[in-house]
Amino acid sequence: MDESTPPPPDIDAYTPPPPPSASTGTPTDFLKGVVGKKVIVRLTSGVDYRGVLSCLDGYMNIALEQTEEHVNGVVTNRYGDAFIRGNNVLYISAAEPL
Amino acid sequence: MDPSSSGIQEPFDLIRLSLSERVFVKLRGDRELTGVLHAYDGHMNLILSDVEETIMIVDPIEGGMDGQGTVKVAKRKMEMLFVRGDGVILVSPPSRT
Repeated sequence: MDESTPPPPDIDAYTPPPPPSASTGTPTDFLKGVVGKKVIVRLTSGVDYRGVLSCLDGYMNIALEQTEEHVNGVVTNRYGDAFIRGNNVLYISAAEPL
Repeated sequence: MDPSSSGIQEPFDLIRLSLSERVFVKLRGDRELTGVLHAYDGHMNLILSDVEETIMIVDPIEGGMDGQGTVKVAKRKMEMLFVRGDGVILVSPPSRT
């Protein structure tokens, strides 16, 4: 056991982690990235809203365009514009590649 | 400026542009409103006039699947209404096209 201890790591051989790719960043970076893209907004009630994210604020209030309301996978309503009050939001999912 | 955002910088701009217009409001408790928007604030407290409220009343069927059951729709009209903001889920302005 005493003869088999590995050598200490060579400090000079340390390679830093790669720079962040486009898929990493803070939650805020993600949200900035999806503005203007198609998103799926799920509310805590389970209702989904699919549309183009026009903007959002610090309360996670959301403005969507060309919005479809989906309940149990069925389109139940369409809105040209929709304001969603932030407290109802469960998540925001990108519906197209960023 | 993102061309898709059509001049809206924050979500409340949508509401501001809908003042004096007829809006659709989805509320907690399976209620919907349409009415003319007179005022709002940062809580989304709303003042609406010429309001029609639509209430979906779901009678769950015994042993039925989730989301099934008979749905009754009740409507009523109000001249002037204050809506407390915490009940608001969604506000949709008239189409701006």
